[in-house]
Amino acid sequence: MGRAILQWNPSDPTDPGALIDVSVMNSQDVIDAWNSEGLACPPPVKMKALLDTGAAVTIISKTFARHCKLYQTGQGNVRALGALHPCGEHAGTISFPGTNLRPIESIRILSGDFIREPHFACLIGRDILRHWTVTFDGTARHVTITD
Amino acid sequence: MEPTNQFSKELGVFEEHRQEWSRSSPGKFVAIQGEDVAGFFGTYADALRAGLKKFGVRHEFLIKQVWQTEPVYYIS
Repeated sequence: MGRAILQWNPSDPTDPGALIDVSVMNSQDVIDAWNSEGLACPPPVKMKALLDTGAAVTIISKTFARHCKLYQTGQGNVRALGALHPCGEHAGTISFPGTNLRPIESIRILSGDFIREPHFACLIGRDILRHWTVTFDGTARHVTITD
Repeated sequence: MEPTNQFSKELGVFEEHRQEWSRSSPGKFVAIQGEDVAGFFGTYADALRAGLKKFGVRHEFLIKQVWQTEPVYYIS
């Protein structure tokens, strides 16, 4: 069983929320296919991610999706603040460096514009949260994740 | 991500069969390249694996979950 403890201060209006370090890379199946074709494989990209119970799916900045050449398998829309935003759909793997949480492998990851967002480049949505037990302890100012 | 025509042919095939597939394979994931269909799978990961095996990695293929209407994902 993996476990991670994140700092989180709900009393601080400048606190962006519960952030976790993530590493995003292509699915191992895609990497294996690239390797068998002799194609170069981009390294994983590290970024901060927000635990977001309001996000139906996990979404990363399209800048990072391009940087790590996430394999695209579609396109779609997300609805945020009442408006539809076009996004890419990619196959990827997300791991959690510095913790012993298990990586989430070969999942669909959306990519979109993170405009003027300095704190994080990824929203961890309910498609990943459903694998975990997450406790928000506002009094102790931390969040505990177990898988 | 800017709208592209990257999967226009595959999306056309999907729309052409959406009603039929939503009756026969609701909730399944289908992998499509051009007009070729790799099959229907219970998970996104299985569809990815099957698509890579059938189509290879050099040319991208579409993976769509089969629903009667297109889902919109909410981010708040």
